Amino acid sequence: MELSKIVDPTLLTISAEHVAALRPYLAMFGGALIGIVFACFSLTNRKWLMAGLSIITCLVTGYYSVINMGMAKQVLFSGMMVSDGYSHFFNVLFAFIAALTIFSSFRYLDRENLHYPEYYILLLFSALGMMLLTSALDLIVLFIALEIMSLSVYVLVGFRRADRRSNEASMKYFILGAAASAILLYGSALLYGATGSLNIADIMKMATNTDHGIPMIYTIGSWLVAVGFLFKVASVPFHTWMPDVYEGAPTPITGFMTTGVKAASFATFIRILMSTGFGSEAAGLAGTQVETILWVIAVLTMFIGNVIALTQTQLKRMLAYSSIAHTGYLIVGLLAAPHTDLGYAPVVLYLVTYSIMNLGAFAILTILSGKSDTRLNLSDLSGLSQKHPWIAFALAVFFFSMAGIPPTAGFAAKYYLLYSAVQAKFIWLVVLAVLCSAISVYYYLRVLVQMYMRDPVGSENEGMTPAWSAFVVAMTVALTLQVGLLPSKMVDLSKRVVETLKQ
Amino acid sequence: MAINPIAFFVFGGAALAFSMMVVLKKNPVASAFSLVMVFFCFAGIYASMNAHLIAILQILVYAGAIMVLFIFVIMLLNADEPTFDLRRTSNVVKAGAVAFGLAFVVMLAIVFKKSNIIPLNAGFSSEEVIKLGGNSKVLSQLMFSKYILPFELTSVLLLAAIVGAVAMAKRKTGKSS
Repeated sequence: MELSKIVDPTLLTISAEHVAALRPYLAMFGGALIGIVFACFSLTNRKWLMAGLSIITCLVTGYYSVINMGMAKQVLFSGMMVSDGYSHFFNVLFAFIAALTIFSSFRYLDRENLHYPEYYILLLFSALGMMLLTSALDLIVLFIALEIMSLSVYVLVGFRRADRRSNEASMKYFILGAAASAILLYGSALLYGATGSLNIADIMKMATNTDHGIPMIYTIGSWLVAVGFLFKVASVPFHTWMPDVYEGAPTPITGFMTTGVKAASFATFIRILMSTGFGSEAAGLAGTQVETILWVIAVLTMFIGNVIALTQTQLKRMLAYSSIAHTGYLIVGLLAAPHTDLGYAPVVLYLVTYSIMNLGAFAILTILSGKSDTRLNLSDLSGLSQKHPWIAFALAVFFFSMAGIPPTAGFAAKYYLLYSAVQAKFIWLVVLAVLCSAISVYYYLRVLVQMYMRDPVGSENEGMTPAWSAFVVAMTVALTLQVGLLPSKMVDLSKRVVETLKQ
Repeated sequence: MAINPIAFFVFGGAALAFSMMVVLKKNPVASAFSLVMVFFCFAGIYASMNAHLIAILQILVYAGAIMVLFIFVIMLLNADEPTFDLRRTSNVVKAGAVAFGLAFVVMLAIVFKKSNIIPLNAGFSSEEVIKLGGNSKVLSQLMFSKYILPFELTSVLLLAAIVGAVAMAKRKTGKSS
């Protein structure tokens, strides 16, 4: 009986380098575990203890990820996951997003009487899921990581249990998300059936090396996997859940979802497209029409997102539709990437700047909102520049950035993205993207007009802006302007990061 | 390894019949028990394909754990009143749903027929697995060596789910308002 044929003894050991590569994940998981222990021993009466623990966890994770970014690529657990510059770059981003979300939710939880330790623990678990998602090389690991991320977010969306909208949002997100997960899983099963492997690289090898074309199962499977991801990033045929969920979720969590979940899904999408050789001439995927489908989806997503955003007066809903529109721009970047020498760097840059400005915008909405997330209509902002000049200024910076007006990060990122699309000769797509972008300027500027050119309503002074949130806003404004004025550093970094993906 | 056609038609036919009952029964508990029977039929099909471990797992996990949970939920929620009445939906919707379902099944049938599959890991035919010591042995060895990461991550997922369930269930809803 030849059992050693299956079990390779080296698979059962783990070397020191592997442990070093795994440090960010271990730190994040360890932080969540310590949080659970704290919660068990009711040490959480002191609120700052949980918040401090989570922030330290994020800092340690970020620190280890920065160290690991320079390390050589390592394939871990017999090809299940990979530690390279790309994955650690995104680990830093997720740790950053989680930390800022915790900062901006501290006062929010106080005000809503929601200071429970589970909030922080779930946030850390969700960040861990995102980190694992971007480093997965195997469809099983990918699915489980996606579920770790999503399950925690489902609960966080419904965290304001006394609020009907929050419950509805959570339920909607959960049911539709579960359906999307099922579709993704079925697609993975079909891909496994077509190729006999769950490893992303192996699947591609199989699909390109077959002599008699791509089996139809493979085509259907790749479509279903794509649908699963397009749902997570809310591109147009699968976007209907998003405005309701964004409106119902606690405001800091909306910021976390719109940045973290989207960045994780896109980063994974890039890795899959890259290792499946999407767009290159030899690609088996050419026969699956994924490019045509993405083209249509990109146009629809940009157009519908921007047009519906015009009609919204509730700020969270408006940002939800604008976030759909941004998904469209990102898909344009995905389409262009294989045909230029810039590769996926513009998409990565766009994801980072998008995360920064959205986190800032939602931190401000958290400050401005009244109890139970009321007072977030457009009219509530009128005359904000007189009541809170600095907050109005910061919000103006973020909205300029989202509209893509210089000298903000949004302009640099959008310019770089569309430049790569021009290089790839997607002229029509660029024309449409610019048109949609022009539409978006209207609804962003409408907020500015309301803030700067109308008289203030309501005389009551809301009091001091909490220091924790002010820190988030200051930091994101600084980063937005910094990347906008001197983009070359970020551009270089994103290029180097994408470079590590290729090896 | 080819499946015995008699076993296939008996179990497959029964599975189809019980699936119909899941949908058509008015009483939710009866529907749930029909679903248990469907799972048993699947287990029969797996067993006749020499996948004994999956057959047992099917019974333990689906028929045992998941269905008990279903029935608990049905009984706790006291779901006697149907919230969805088929008669009230328009015929166009009904016809559309049936047509869509049939089209999907036909499409899958065509796809599976047309695709000629060459598995990458040719070592895992059922004859080979029996030679290596049977299903459960091979599976457990793989699970604790090659697939150790997904195995451990599943426990992380369960932990996150438990924390989420506690967060949803524990709090007093009346406190904040």
